[in-house]
Amino acid sequence: MKKLAIGVYVLVTLALLGWGYYQAIYVAPNDAMQGEIFRIIYYHVPSASVAFVFFAVSLTGSIGYLASRREHHDRAQIFDAWALAGAEVGVVFCTVVLTTGPIWGRRAWGIWWTWDARLTTTLVLWLIYMSYLLLRRFAAGPQMQTFAAVLGIFGALDVPIVYMSNRWWRTQHPAPVFGGAQGSGMDPSMVGALMWNMLAWFAWGVLILALRYRVERQHQQIAAAEAHAALNA
Amino acid sequence: MDQAAILDHQFRVAAYVVTWVIQLSYVAWLGLKWRAQKRAAERAGLLDVPGKSSAPSRR
Repeated sequence: MKKLAIGVYVLVTLALLGWGYYQAIYVAPNDAMQGEIFRIIYYHVPSASVAFVFFAVSLTGSIGYLASRREHHDRAQIFDAWALAGAEVGVVFCTVVLTTGPIWGRRAWGIWWTWDARLTTTLVLWLIYMSYLLLRRFAAGPQMQTFAAVLGIFGALDVPIVYMSNRWWRTQHPAPVFGGAQGSGMDPSMVGALMWNMLAWFAWGVLILALRYRVERQHQQIAAAEAHAALNA
Repeated sequence: MDQAAILDHQFRVAAYVVTWVIQLSYVAWLGLKWRAQKRAAERAGLLDVPGKSSAPSRR
């Protein structure tokens, strides 16, 4: 039954991704100013949104780990696995943002990169979570999870700064499309394509987040079994 | 199609391809990690594999 549910979810996700692609390429019109290059928005913005949500998952996992590590060891391990999964999958989506953005910028602005507020804060966010993953990969000892949780919380503090950066500082990156100043927004013929892609990439993200969580839980169980065996040897 | 439209098309395709390369590379890496861990779990006796017993041998 569980396998069937997973299979159905995978099929629905793939169908959504296909439908999102169809909407982005064949349904949404070209932008009047930017032409076809504007269609990068249908992959770029959903990836950024999913990255933000997963960094929030990592934040919740990190706080949960710190709150429960002393008295509820098993629960703390579950929180820790969610923190790691959220950070890692968030970094994957953030990497997509940091590669599709410069491709778009090269055509729209004539430059690959500039030290604009939105771009710089996003790069800082990516670097913080990369250091989180490197810490988890190379540090050892019982304090590693605690250090990682603290770093995960600090990293998440950058998310609202990234979100607000193009509201607080007007530099190269365009002003927000949604929730921006008066007159901001998108043509209704494009909103559908963006929303379908948002849904599709979110469904895809949840799928790989769940897989990453499962892998980490298995890793924890193997480590615990090996530690138990070593103590009994 | 003018030159600018061709370039726009190529850059748009590049962005979409890069997105899928990153996503699928990560899923492939995760799949390999999962498979390696499954073997490690079998060795640690955490998984019961059909045809193999995780119980200690009597010999």
